Amino acid sequence: MNRSNVILLVEDNSDDEEITLRAFRKSAIANEVVVVRDGVEALDYMFATGTHAGRSMKPLPAVILLDLKLPKLGGLEVLRRLRAEDSTRRVPVVVLTSSNEEKDVLSSYDLGANSFVRKPVDFTQFMEAARQLGLYWLVINEPAPG
Amino acid sequence: MTATVLIIDDSLTVRMDLAEAFDAAGFRPLTGSTIREARTAIATQTIDLIILDVLLPDGDGVELLGEIRSRPALRDLPVLMLSSEADVADRIRGVQTGADDYVGKPYDNSFVVARGRELLGQRDSESPDAAAINTILVIDDSATFREELKRALGQSGYRVITATTGEEGLRLAAGSRPTALIVDGVMPGMDGATVIRKLRLDVALRGLPCLLLTASEEQDAELRALDAGADAFVRKEEDLDVILARLAAIVRNTSTGAEDISSLASPKRILAVDDSMTYLHELAFALRDEGYDVVLAHSGEEAIELLSVQSVDCILLDLLMPGIGGQESCRRIKASPQLRNTPLIMLTAVEDRQTLVAGLGTGADDYIAKSSEFDVLRARIQVQIRRKQFEDENRRIREQLLHSKLEAAEARAARELAEAKAMLVEELEYKNKELEAFSYSVSHDLRAPLRGIDGFSQALLEDYTDRLDETGQNYLSRIRAAAQRMGQLIDDMLLLSRVGRAQIERERVDLSGLAQAVTDELRRQDPDRRIVLEIQSGLVTQADRGLMRVLLDNLLGNAWKFTARTADARIDFKMQEHENKRVFLVQDNGAGFDMAHAGTLFKPFHRLHAVADFPGTGIGLATCQRVVDRHGGRIWAEGAVGRGASVYFTVPPSREKGQL
Repeated sequence: MNRSNVILLVEDNSDDEEITLRAFRKSAIANEVVVVRDGVEALDYMFATGTHAGRSMKPLPAVILLDLKLPKLGGLEVLRRLRAEDSTRRVPVVVLTSSNEEKDVLSSYDLGANSFVRKPVDFTQFMEAARQLGLYWLVINEPAPG
Repeated sequence: MTATVLIIDDSLTVRMDLAEAFDAAGFRPLTGSTIREARTAIATQTIDLIILDVLLPDGDGVELLGEIRSRPALRDLPVLMLSSEADVADRIRGVQTGADDYVGKPYDNSFVVARGRELLGQRDSESPDAAAINTILVIDDSATFREELKRALGQSGYRVITATTGEEGLRLAAGSRPTALIVDGVMPGMDGATVIRKLRLDVALRGLPCLLLTASEEQDAELRALDAGADAFVRKEEDLDVILARLAAIVRNTSTGAEDISSLASPKRILAVDDSMTYLHELAFALRDEGYDVVLAHSGEEAIELLSVQSVDCILLDLLMPGIGGQESCRRIKASPQLRNTPLIMLTAVEDRQTLVAGLGTGADDYIAKSSEFDVLRARIQVQIRRKQFEDENRRIREQLLHSKLEAAEARAARELAEAKAMLVEELEYKNKELEAFSYSVSHDLRAPLRGIDGFSQALLEDYTDRLDETGQNYLSRIRAAAQRMGQLIDDMLLLSRVGRAQIERERVDLSGLAQAVTDELRRQDPDRRIVLEIQSGLVTQADRGLMRVLLDNLLGNAWKFTARTADARIDFKMQEHENKRVFLVQDNGAGFDMAHAGTLFKPFHRLHAVADFPGTGIGLATCQRVVDRHGGRIWAEGAVGRGASVYFTVPPSREKGQL
C-alpha cells in the first residue's frame, strides 16, 4: 500500500493546531497526525528534503490539511508544487483557512484542491467539518490507485 | 487624351468660331445645329463637354439639358449653356436644370474655352488617376519650336497644352492648372519674364514651377529670369534633353496637392444691373472685349433672383432704378452670407457727395460715375476682384490658423483630461488594492484569535464541566457568545466593504426565485417558526446576481428576525408601480421602528433594538444601501413601532456612463 493513514496538518497557529487535534480526538479519528509549521517544511516533508531529508517519501499521507496563510511559503504555492510533481499529484489536499475570500476559493480549486473548508469561529461547526473530512477522506474515499 | 466637346448651336458662325477655338485649345470638336443632332451625337459618341444653345430650331436647349441630367450615365457630364440674349429668367432656368455654367451671347470665345477647360478640370481632379499624369503648359510664339517640344514631352509621358502668347498662356494656366510651365523669354506682347512675374503675383498659381527659355546670348539673361521668379533657365539652343532634364527636376520638387483657389486669370463673370438697356449693352460690349462674361439684369429684383442660382465675381449696380432700387438691392446683397463678399460697385448718373455717402453706407465696395471712361471702370473692377481674392486668401489663412489653434487646444484639453482620469483611476486602483489587502488580512488574522477564544472556551465547557460551577460555566458561555458576535461583525464588515468594491455585472435576475431560495434557507435554519410568506411571482430585473442575493438575504433575514415575537407573522415580497417606476418591497408585520429614526436606519452600526431583543451587528441595512447604490437605485423604509416595517428599493436600468 502506497498510502499511509497519516494526516499531514500544515498549520502555523498552535491554537488552531490544538483545536484541530482535539476535534480529531473528539471525533474518534485515531490517525497519526504529522504537524508542519510552514510551507517550506510541508514541501520538505513531502519530498523528503531539508529538515526531513532521509525520510522515505512513501507511503504518502492519506490527506493534507493545508492552511493558506503560512510563513515562508504560502499554502497556494505549496499546493501548486504538489500538483506539479507526479509523485504527489493525487494526494488529497483540503484547504483549511480562515478566509472566505472568493479569490482564495477559486485559486485553491484552480490549483487542484480537493476541498475547501473555512475554519469556522464556532467550534462546533469546525468540529463537524473536521469530522466529515476525516470520514470522507479516511473512511469513505477510496484512494486513487498508484 | 483629347477631350471631345459637342457644340450645339443653330448659328453656323457660332459653331465655326467655337469649333476653331476649341480645336486650337486641343479639344476634338463635334458640332450640331438641332436637338435631334445633339441626341444622336450623345447616343453614339463619348462626349466630355457640351456647349448648348438655348433656342434651337427643333426645341428648347434647357429641355435637352433636363433629359441629359435625368440619365445616370450623363448626370455628371459638364454642360455649358449659351444663350443669345442674356435673359435672367433663362439663366435661372438653365442653372436650376443643372447647367454647370451659363454664358451669354455675345461671348468671348477664349472665355468659353477657358470655362470649358475649368469644368473639365474639376471633373479630372475628382478622378484619382488624373493626378498621375503631369500636364505641361508650353508658351511660345514659334509654331515649329512648340511642335518640337510637344513631341518630345509627349514621348516622355507628359500631357502638353500650348499657347502662342503670354496672355493666352496665363488664361490656360488658370483653367487647366498644369504641373509646370515652359515659357519662351522673347515673345511679341507679354514676354516670358512678365508671364512668370504675373503668375507669382497670383495666389492660386504662384506655386507653379516655371522654366524660362531664351535665345538670348546676354550674360545677365539668366539673372533676369531668376529675378522674375523662374525656377529654371535653359538656353533655346541647348539640346531638348537638357530641357527635359531640367523640367523633370522642377516637377519632382513640386509639392503635390494644388490649393483650390480661384485664380486671378481664370474667367470672371460680372453681373451688370441697370434699367437702361443702352447703357447695359455699351457696358457689356466693353467688358466682353476684356474677356469677361457679362450677365445683364434690368432690375434689382432680377439681379437678386439670379444671384441665388449663379455666383458672379463682381456686381455693377445702378443706383437709380425703378423697383427696389440700387441702395436697397445693395443692402440685401450685402446682408446675404453667401453674397456678402462679392465685390459690388455702385454706378450712378449723378455724382454728389450725399449719394456717394449713402451708397457706400449700404455696403458698396466702390462707387463710380456713369460718365467715367470704361477704362476707369475696368480698372476699378480689376482692383475689386483682386482685393476679393486677397481677402479670400487671408480669410482662408485665418481660418486655417484658427482651426489649427482650436485643434491644438482640443487635443491639449483631451490629453489633460485623459491624464487626470488616468491618475484618478490609478489612485483608485491603488486605494482599492490597499483596501483589499487590508480586508484580506482582517479576515485571516483577526479571526484566528477568536477561533482560539471560542475553541478553548468550548473545550473547557466540554472537558472540565465537573470542575466549574454554574457561574463559571455562564462566564464561559458569555466569552463564547462575545467571540462569535465579533466573528459575525468581522464577516459583516468585510461583506459591506466587498459590496462597495465589487464589479457590477448585470444579468437577468429572477428576484422571485431568489427570494424563495433565501426564505427556504431561513425556514431550514429555523424550522419551528410559523410564518406566512407571500412572494409575488415573475419579478425579474437586470442586476448583479450576487449582490441581489446579499440584498434579499439581509432584507428577508431582517423581516424574519423582527417577526420572531409576532403572532401570525407575515412577510411579503412584492413589486409596486410608483410614477412608472418599479419599486420592490419587503414588508413585515413585526417589531417595526419609529419613523423618527428612519434617517439613521441605513447607517453602519446604527441599531434600533437591543441585541438582547434582536441580535445583529447593525451593518446589514448599510450593506443593502450600498448594493442599491451600486445599481444606481434608491432604498428607503417605512414603519411604526409594533406595526411592522416596509423596505422599498429600486433597480433602475444600467447607465452607460457614471462608472469609472
